Amino acid sequence: MKMGLLLATIALPLTAFAQARPVALPDGVTAKEVKFFSEGVQCAGRIFLPKGFTADGKTSAVVLAPGWGDTAATIEKYAARFAGRGLVAMAIDYRGWGRSGGFLYLADPVRWDDRLRFSQHTAKVRIRRKRLNPEAQTLDIRNAISFLQGEPGIERARIGVWGTDEAGGHAIVVAATDVRVKAAVAQVPVVDGKDVPRKAFAPSPEQQAAMVKLARSGTAPATLAAAAAMNDQEARLALAEYHPFWYADAIPVTTAVLFVVAEKDLKVNNDANAVAASKLIKGPNGVTVVPGAGHALATPGAFDAAVDAAAAWFQKYL
Amino acid sequence: MPARARFGLCVAAVLGTSLSAQIATDLVEKRRADFHTQATDADMKREGGTQPRDWNYDLPGGVTTRQITFYVDGGTPLYGKMFFPRGFTKTGRWPAVVVGHGINALSIGIEKYGARFADRGLVAMAIDYQSYGFSGSGSDDLRLLEADTTTDARTVTGTYSRVLVKRTNLNNVHEVEDFRAAVSYLQGEPGVAADRIGIWGSSNAGSVVIAVAAADARVKAVVSQVAGAPPSTRGPAPIAAPMLDDGIRRARTGQGAEVDGGFSFKSKVDMWSTQRNRDVRPGSSLDQIPPTTHILFLPAENDELSGRGGLGAVAATQYLMEHGGSAQTIIYPELTHFQAYSHTGFDVGSTLAADWFLKYLGSGTPARSTATSHEGRR
Repeated sequence: MKMGLLLATIALPLTAFAQARPVALPDGVTAKEVKFFSEGVQCAGRIFLPKGFTADGKTSAVVLAPGWGDTAATIEKYAARFAGRGLVAMAIDYRGWGRSGGFLYLADPVRWDDRLRFSQHTAKVRIRRKRLNPEAQTLDIRNAISFLQGEPGIERARIGVWGTDEAGGHAIVVAATDVRVKAAVAQVPVVDGKDVPRKAFAPSPEQQAAMVKLARSGTAPATLAAAAAMNDQEARLALAEYHPFWYADAIPVTTAVLFVVAEKDLKVNNDANAVAASKLIKGPNGVTVVPGAGHALATPGAFDAAVDAAAAWFQKYL
Repeated sequence: MPARARFGLCVAAVLGTSLSAQIATDLVEKRRADFHTQATDADMKREGGTQPRDWNYDLPGGVTTRQITFYVDGGTPLYGKMFFPRGFTKTGRWPAVVVGHGINALSIGIEKYGARFADRGLVAMAIDYQSYGFSGSGSDDLRLLEADTTTDARTVTGTYSRVLVKRTNLNNVHEVEDFRAAVSYLQGEPGVAADRIGIWGSSNAGSVVIAVAAADARVKAVVSQVAGAPPSTRGPAPIAAPMLDDGIRRARTGQGAEVDGGFSFKSKVDMWSTQRNRDVRPGSSLDQIPPTTHILFLPAENDELSGRGGLGAVAATQYLMEHGGSAQTIIYPELTHFQAYSHTGFDVGSTLAADWFLKYLGSGTPARSTATSHEGRR
């Protein structure tokens, strides 16, 4: 199932753009573009502010993370609706996706000296994009939380995370690794790992060969084809080790976690993902089923139902 | 297990005498007077770091070296210095170990362990972590000083640009990846047996190697010097208010506060490093270490940094032994943290580490039989 998702993403890489449309803003909601740093990379976010928002108030806030191979444009409609329900909502692009900057590598080495901690150079660089790296993506979400906490009018102690598809798994991982998260919503989530014992990764011969190849000849790629192949290889290896399910029982009892699933999801087995993971959550938790809907939540009323469930959860626990 | 039996096991683990799957410790007893001399001689005091004279070594006869580049995280070049034992053959099946330096340090300070391990018949590779020494800065440590105009229409774009290169980004998440990339490199080295790989780490890296063991089953033997990994709970680490403010500053400006870092080698590091490193808490993942990965802890009795009495190592060893793992703790009597790297500390510590690696990785064989001698003729 997992590999199928990955392949589908690679085969249809630009669907996110095809679907991107201007988002209708609920009454009184305003939106602004922001840039935040995730490690060295400048990333893009779009913040939706609720009606009556004031910079000297204390409003709860939520970071929204797009699905596997998707961009912020595909989830801004959720952020807009959350703002319509009184939350500050920030939809982000991961590093190397959408309007965010890419991963930077030096193509020709420069001379450095550790005594000079920061040095500026004009250098030949390679900027990589469209990498699918769960570890980097969860860090992007955490850095977006940092940005939001510095936004005037935000209550720092009331931060939530929302993620859809693969990012539903990210929401579980971030809730288990970042103490600032007080509420999380995992929508149609891929929460891989139920049937994988929580043990050190033992690669297959093929995986090991790929790891050896990357370590011995894995310079930043120079051509589009080489970059695409490396993106694919890296994503396969990263996914083989990425098990958000392992994190479910490490989420603090004070963090509330909601799973929103589509009743007729053909991509994700709800029982083996959201439902199984929900049983490990120590704090407040629930599973909301959107009746009749598939993974895309495209059936009539499905989007509204998913929005309502998530917004109500954040309102209650933030 | 009854409490008394547990205590007995713990003592046995420390003394290392009664459990069969462990190495002998009589060397420590034999050198006890030398340890005492090192602990009391004013010239052998090592407060606040090692000294350049501790880094020097003579390359053992027959041992050869090669400086190499390996890659991590999609193209970041890292530096390794390889040490090959006498009689090394590219057609053999040799055990190999990665040798990793401590907090905010450099591989030049611990190369001598690589040389010693090679003298004992192991292939060894001393590495600089990303953004340290001869290793490059990774994409987390490089910042474009011009607008990034790349789009998702291209998976890679080559260009000339102004860039900011950041060094000494102390980051244990990176260090885990660096160790694992080094393991991958060694697995592909002709003559190295891919199923006989070990890792050695000291001080901060003594914790990192335990996290590597919890993440990667390819590692079959681990030596963790002057460190410990007492069992701890899983879940998010707390964030103190100044750290939370610093995280905000980093996300808004690209750079947070700096503090002094390091001991033997000093530089500024990000204040945030302390917070980021708490994402790697090896004591919370001891249960992920498979029984096929064998762990030796070498703490110093009077360690002023990692804790006295080797308690963190003893607790981790006890936990591993009780949960079907394989571990041993041998304490350097009387030594402080940085004394582990010189004189008797180095002599005994490097000997015990090599003993451990040879026991669990096996000795090298110059040439593979039948099938591979054919390969060797090509």
